[in-house]
Amino acid sequence: MQDKDRVLSIIQTYIAKMPSLPITVSKILQIANDPKTSPSDLNQVISLDPVLMGRVMKLINSAYYSLNTQITSLVRAIIMLGINTVKNLALSTAVLGQLAKKGSFQALNIDGFWRHSLCVGVTAKLIAVKRKKDPKQLEEYFVAGLLHDIGKIPLNNKLSAEYVTALSLTDKEHAPLYLLEERTMEVNHCEVGRLIIKNWNLGPVMEDVVFFHHFLDAYPGAHRDILLTVAAANFFANTYQIGFSGDRYPEKLPPYVFEELGITLDDLEAVEDKANSEIDKAKIFLSVSQ
Amino acid sequence: MAIRLTFWGVRGSIPVPGPTTVKYGGNTSCLELRFGEEDRLIVIDLGSGVRELAGHIMKKDLPRGPIKTKVFLTHTHFDHIMGFPFFTPIFIPTTELDVYGPVSYEDDTLEKIVGEQLRYRYFPVRLEELSAKINYTPLKEGSLDLGGGLKVTTKYLNHPILVLGYRFEYQGKVFCTAYDHEPYRNFFDISPEDPSFDAAAVKEGELAAREENEKVQKFFEGADLLVHDTQYTIKEYYAGKIGWGHSYFGWAIGAAHKAKVKHLVLFHHEPLRTDRELTALHRAYVAAIKGKTNMKVTVAQEGTTIEV
Repeated sequence: MQDKDRVLSIIQTYIAKMPSLPITVSKILQIANDPKTSPSDLNQVISLDPVLMGRVMKLINSAYYSLNTQITSLVRAIIMLGINTVKNLALSTAVLGQLAKKGSFQALNIDGFWRHSLCVGVTAKLIAVKRKKDPKQLEEYFVAGLLHDIGKIPLNNKLSAEYVTALSLTDKEHAPLYLLEERTMEVNHCEVGRLIIKNWNLGPVMEDVVFFHHFLDAYPGAHRDILLTVAAANFFANTYQIGFSGDRYPEKLPPYVFEELGITLDDLEAVEDKANSEIDKAKIFLSVSQ
Repeated sequence: MAIRLTFWGVRGSIPVPGPTTVKYGGNTSCLELRFGEEDRLIVIDLGSGVRELAGHIMKKDLPRGPIKTKVFLTHTHFDHIMGFPFFTPIFIPTTELDVYGPVSYEDDTLEKIVGEQLRYRYFPVRLEELSAKINYTPLKEGSLDLGGGLKVTTKYLNHPILVLGYRFEYQGKVFCTAYDHEPYRNFFDISPEDPSFDAAAVKEGELAAREENEKVQKFFEGADLLVHDTQYTIKEYYAGKIGWGHSYFGWAIGAAHKAKVKHLVLFHHEPLRTDRELTALHRAYVAAIKGKTNMKVTVAQEGTTIEV
């Protein structure tokens, strides 16, 4: 059993210098070190790394803090901040990733986690497209999906032994991971995720999605549409086992999610091929070729 | 007269004294603003030009009482702060200075970024030894009421670090700065043959760049006087200066005209630009826009004053 304050203080320290995922580090280094990098490559590599995506969004939104609207489009962020600023940030995040490479991701499998995050991002966006959401908002659905499990990174990396225990308990008890995180570490990934989102200053939408994605019934807020979309995408990724982020026995999705979104299981099935091909494309992109 | 502007430094990047810069001046950015009958003083930027402004203030303002003024920094690149140690009022105990400016993405404070110059390794007087009272306030986008009917609004511009444009409004007159600034561009608009071509990003980037450029234009809309970055010619700009954070003449003139600016001042001159070249460029642009706009276009020149 961990003392909650101690756990939170470990996590807070870690968040301040959170590294990129080892899986994207090499590609980030390659792209950020190339003086002739194309903005599209920069855009793509950032889109594939939840930590880097979060940090770029933090940068733009902390600089432009007083603007009324939160900036959630990476393309716009690159245009406003400039390629070099974003490259430098990518580089510093990737270097942290290199340092952390050894020994990180002990409990959760990094490839599985990455696939899961990407799948939920891609699927959330595809659901939003299907529901004819404003094209300007699509990126926000992607980012919310990509980041929804961000809280697992510090838990997995800083409390690896406890995380291994939590994961094995899910198998033993057939219970959702967040409950076992609470039992073994006093906090769950939703709470930790919210700390990260607050630290990155990504605004109330991301905060709500990350914090409430396992607590839909308790959600009182105004960003219901995007929250339910991410929850549905998460359900899809878990059911179809695209990637794996430790939740082998998630709670059932409340029936109102599909009703409110006006989608069916068939719609999600139709997304499967597209999601898989997006992930494969990303995988090829990330395999560094020089 | 509501607002009076005097240029003490008009050059970009680095001071360039010498025979080819005598007419327009070789000092880096420093603008003196005076408001109304009270002659209220505001300074924009502490480039090398501020040394001479300091002498002027000591002679003109100090005999009337302690110097209490505000300095607005457009950004903290060296050519815009390098004159700070030579701004003599900071050595006078009765001086009260409020320094405002954007702080970039680093964790350092405005005081550290500007005051770092007063360290033993760079300068014989340390920041801690200054007897004036100096307050530092980081600025973001927004508006400030400076009292006495004077209001300032800020807007982020496009430069490798955070830069603020300033819009001062006083007695119905508007004065704006838009430097250091380069037009927002859609970097994503590359050849469709390129393997990294991304059609959705091209579309989104086009919208983002257009919207951001419109915001800047809106910011200086209707200004009686606008001081705009024109470091490069269009040829220089496209021959390797994209992304350096500066505009070309044609862009500044076009944007100011569209925004119905009454008087545009070309500013932040390229260090290599000689007086002769600058005069020739100005003549050519004035001739090219003759009959197409009512906007007055002049070249910023050290020591000259414009009133609106």
